[in-house]
Amino acid sequence: MTVAFAFLTGMTLVSALGVVLSRSVVHSALFMSGAFLGIAGFFVMLNAPALAAFQVLIYVGAVTVVILFGIMFTQRPQVRRFRTIINRQIWPGFFAAAGVGAFLCYILVGESWEGAEPGNGARSVAVLGRSLLGAGEGVEIFSLLFEAASVLLLVALVAAIAISRRKDEEEASR
Amino acid sequence: MQQFLDQLNAQVPLEGYLVVAAIMFAIGAWGALIRRNAVVVFMCVELMINAVNLTLVAFADFLPGAGGAGASYAVLVIAIAAAEVAVGLAIVLAIFRTRRTVNIDEVDSLRG
Repeated sequence: MTVAFAFLTGMTLVSALGVVLSRSVVHSALFMSGAFLGIAGFFVMLNAPALAAFQVLIYVGAVTVVILFGIMFTQRPQVRRFRTIINRQIWPGFFAAAGVGAFLCYILVGESWEGAEPGNGARSVAVLGRSLLGAGEGVEIFSLLFEAASVLLLVALVAAIAISRRKDEEEASR
Repeated sequence: MQQFLDQLNAQVPLEGYLVVAAIMFAIGAWGALIRRNAVVVFMCVELMINAVNLTLVAFADFLPGAGGAGASYAVLVIAIAAAEVAVGLAIVLAIFRTRRTVNIDEVDSLRG
C-alpha cells in the first residue's frame, strides 16, 4: 500500500507541476491526463473501482480529447519562451497558492480523525448505483441531484453547440 | 526486515490522501493564477476539481458516518466538470474566432 501510494503521489504531483510549467500546450494536456490517471489509481486504493473506471473513461478519455481539439483549433505557432506563457504574477501567484495549500494541509492534519478506518465506502457497483439514484439507505437527495445533473448536461450540450457555431460563414455561403 | 516489510504493507492514513489532494489543489490554483493561455487555465481548473474529488472519495472510504455518499457526490462532480469543459472550450473557440487570440490578458474589452 505504501509503495503504491508513494508511486501514485509522485505521478500525480509531478504531472500536475508539468501542466503548470511545461512550455508546449500539448505537453500540458498530456501531463494532465497523467495526473488524472494517478487520481484513478488513488480511487482504486480507496475501494472505489467504479469511480476509477468513470475517471479513466471521462477524464482520461473524453475531457483530454476535447481539450486537445480545443488546442488544435486555437493555437497559432508562437515563440515558446518561458516569459511568454506566464504572466507577471508568477511569484505572487506562487505565494498565494502555497499559502492556500499550507493552510489546507494545516487544517486537515491538525484535525483529529477519530474512528477513521478504511473500508467504509460503497465498494460494489450495485451499492454505488442505488446510492446515486437515491434508492439506497442514507442520503435521499441524490435522486433530485441526478435529475438536475441530467438536465444540466443537456443544457450544456445545447449551449456548447449554440456558442461555437460559426454564424458569419453560414450567412456568407448563402 | 520483517518490520520493514510490515511498514511497506501498512494502510495509508486518511491524512496522506488529504495532504496529496491539498497539494494538488494548490498546484492547480497556481497554474490558474499564472498561465496566460485560456486552455491551460481550464486544465488547471480540472486539476483542482480532481483534487476535491480525491478528498470526497477519501472521506467516503474512511469516515464511518459518511455512508459512502462521497462517491456519489464525486460522480455528480465529474458530470458537472465535463459540462463545464464543453461550454468553456466553446467560449474559448468563439473568442478565438473574433479576436484571434486565447491569451486571457489580451481579452480585455470589458475593462473600464
